Amino acid sequence: MNKILTRKEFLQAAAAVPYAIRWPAWIPRLSFAPEKTDPKGDVLVVIFLRGAADALNMVVPHGEQAYYRARPTLAIPRPDDSRAALNQRALDLDGFFGFHPGMASLLPSWQEGQLAIIHACGAPDESRSHFKAMELMERGLSDEHGPASGWIGRHLAVHHTNNPSPLRAIGLGSMVPLSLQGPVPATAMQSIVDFHLGGDERAARQFQSAMHSLYLPSDELGIIGRETLNILDTLEKLDPSDYQPANQATYPQSEFGVGLRQIAMLVKAQVGLEVATLDLGGWDTHFAQGSTSGLMTGLIQNLSEGLSAFHADLHDHMGSLTVVVMSEFGRRVQENASLGTDHGHGGLMMLMGGNVSGGQILGAWPGVGDGQLFGPGDLAVTTDYRDVLGEVLKKRLGNPNLDSIFPDFRVRTHGFLQEN
Amino acid sequence: MRVTRREFLRLAALTAATAAVQACSPVYRQLAGDPILPAGWHSISGNWTFSVLNRLTFGARLEERQLAEQIGLAGWIEEQLSPNALDDSATDWRVRAFDSLHMTADELDGWEKRDVIAELKQATILRQVYSKRQLYEIMVEFWSDHFNIAITKGLVWMLKTVDDREVIRANALGNFGDLLRASAHSPAMLIYLDNQANHKDHPNENYARELMELHSLGVDGGYTQEDVMELARCLTGWSVKKHFWPGEFTFNTDVHDMNEKVFLGRDIRPEGIGEGEFALEILAAHPSTAQHIAQKLVRRFVSDQPMEEAGWLVERAANAFQSTNGDIQAVLRVVLLDGLAAMSEIPSPKFKRPLHYVASALRLMNAESDGSLALHEALSLMGQPSFQWPTPDGPPDTSSAWLGNLLPRWQFSLELTQNQLAKTYIDWENLLAISGAQDPAELADLLGVLLLGSPLPETGRDDLLRDFESSGVKEMNEIAPILAAGLLASPNFQYR
Repeated sequence: MNKILTRKEFLQAAAAVPYAIRWPAWIPRLSFAPEKTDPKGDVLVVIFLRGAADALNMVVPHGEQAYYRARPTLAIPRPDDSRAALNQRALDLDGFFGFHPGMASLLPSWQEGQLAIIHACGAPDESRSHFKAMELMERGLSDEHGPASGWIGRHLAVHHTNNPSPLRAIGLGSMVPLSLQGPVPATAMQSIVDFHLGGDERAARQFQSAMHSLYLPSDELGIIGRETLNILDTLEKLDPSDYQPANQATYPQSEFGVGLRQIAMLVKAQVGLEVATLDLGGWDTHFAQGSTSGLMTGLIQNLSEGLSAFHADLHDHMGSLTVVVMSEFGRRVQENASLGTDHGHGGLMMLMGGNVSGGQILGAWPGVGDGQLFGPGDLAVTTDYRDVLGEVLKKRLGNPNLDSIFPDFRVRTHGFLQEN
Repeated sequence: MRVTRREFLRLAALTAATAAVQACSPVYRQLAGDPILPAGWHSISGNWTFSVLNRLTFGARLEERQLAEQIGLAGWIEEQLSPNALDDSATDWRVRAFDSLHMTADELDGWEKRDVIAELKQATILRQVYSKRQLYEIMVEFWSDHFNIAITKGLVWMLKTVDDREVIRANALGNFGDLLRASAHSPAMLIYLDNQANHKDHPNENYARELMELHSLGVDGGYTQEDVMELARCLTGWSVKKHFWPGEFTFNTDVHDMNEKVFLGRDIRPEGIGEGEFALEILAAHPSTAQHIAQKLVRRFVSDQPMEEAGWLVERAANAFQSTNGDIQAVLRVVLLDGLAAMSEIPSPKFKRPLHYVASALRLMNAESDGSLALHEALSLMGQPSFQWPTPDGPPDTSSAWLGNLLPRWQFSLELTQNQLAKTYIDWENLLAISGAQDPAELADLLGVLLLGSPLPETGRDDLLRDFESSGVKEMNEIAPILAAGLLASPNFQYR
């Protein structure tokens, strides 16, 4: 796609419509067959909290006086603060950190050791720009110089699982996120249930046949078109509207909950899913963020209830599944005058799965007191997000080629996860 | 009285539109002043013209292609740069019943939220599909994206209507400084980016940051975190009235920070609202702003990679921006006349964004539509919900962002051509009659000209038709819709 076409080539491309009705319905995924087959590894689910989630009010450093001084109205009360109602206090985890009360539903997975928090985690970028920070994070880079593709896209490209599934990588939602973009086409899907052609059956069949002759797997869009046709075929054989989650798991009715439910269904259906991405937006809480109720509490509950339902539903699959939760940066320690927080630096990441070093807060804690803050008053970053992603890729997805995925960063292994 | 009149007009319009959609009568079309689809499609060649026009319009209609062939692309562009000289009464007629478009925030206060939103969305897509002032509408879309506001936040649902009229449409082909200032005084923007909560004790940086990063200098435009904080302080007190004319701009002296500030290396003396006005002047005149806007325009009209593929054009456009103090028309003349229309090679094709895809399908199929819900639902599924892009960066303008979501486009092309979209209609009988096609092969060729700019290659065409025939699709009136659906869903139609 990056190639410059001459005017003549462009016109030829524009005129070169359908040939070859002769193409078979099923075309091998890519024209080059991989020389060896890499292990398939865990299914990876990456959840991006868009808008810079306020890590300090999610996993609360209730042992820090400075936190309470900086947030007179927004702080989450200590677990032993008798002035606050019981259900308004932080849920103690280790005597120093506690969950926001809206994260109560995550306690079972935490206690089971299948949920870990990496605190004060983030990227080196200091722009405090959502768009620049998200772009760099999704590309897995320290600065703009480097490949335009996403980190997951590059993982897929160098990790030859010989998996012909059109559902190898999907982005839940109406667009493929930058992290998934790369030489291996990924498909955006808003809803598995609605992933079919409607209307008059004969017309739809005829149309589908025409799509086979119009989309030739000779360029990027052609391959994506073929993928779309293959997914139509694959999903036709499932019955997504009839899906029953296991262990009485109840997903939130939100778009996020519905998305996780669909990923769970694909995992169980064994249709070759390797990576799924899902976004949860709305975390840019400059205004009226709220403490234990309000805007951010709603987001936290949605996230937590979705994750806990996913954990319960896929409990038998946790041994071969890793969930990563990330955000572009954290928020300023000091609250602003509009009961919100401005853009900060360090944030947090979550890992969920049967092989994470769960039930603990990982990463070094830099503190939020005087002299400990970064830049204009932000949580410092002590763990680069790529250390987390790199360890997931290496230990859980069996991909050791971290240099080609994070070309300007050397991943260090901290023991955030176990290898099989 | 106002409500009664409004409801009456809306009913009348609905009746007229329904009647028109059902019958699609030529009388209605003449009343509306619409051009009837010209005949003789074979004679309309000009692939190059088609390609260029598809970047300047929401899909080049046959009559626009004919005109551009007659007067030349440069002449066509010049005509479009004086939109008020183009008679667009037919489009005005289509949106005439939407009273909310003309109202102040105060007047909109008593309205139902869903009505205000529906009218803005409907009017916008009707103008994109039917207006003769296509370049103007393209620029309205460009600035709506540049100064993106999502109607989902607070009172923005009604304030965006005012912003659309007084900020975007009023300045789309005017002066960039005026546009930037109008946006900074726009209550919709101030609420969307939290500046109404920007208070001297703890400034809220949200708007100040995006004002520099997205609206003017660009993320690499040479400002620092300190500049963000200083600009936020300059803009403390820029707010929106809550009582007595709620929804109007106000400067709230009580919460304005009256200390000295240093912004982009300039000392700013404490003088209240004047500080923000001065900062806006600095931003509008800054070379980084010229560069940023030039680059975005070249990306929109010429290439996904403006610096790599047309760096010389970005530079010239930025120079024009600076030498004319931000005259948008002057910059466009460079980008379009010196750039796009004069290039000997067109850079890599651009993948249509969902809105462009939907609008171009309606335009080229000569569809009759009232612009209502069904189209907006389709846009949401494709990933570009109208006025609901959640983040202030606006929907991306690069191909790669949109490639992976083909199915909703396929579903749309099938529904559109089968006349299954509510309140949108293709008059197949009329279309087939005008085409003059005598047999399926000729029909396929003509639809190729109509939708893709050239007939289908013979072998591909014959294969397609044989496939149709083998599954029992033989009659022209049955072949036509499926064939059109296939072409609208084909790779070629995804590009502009």
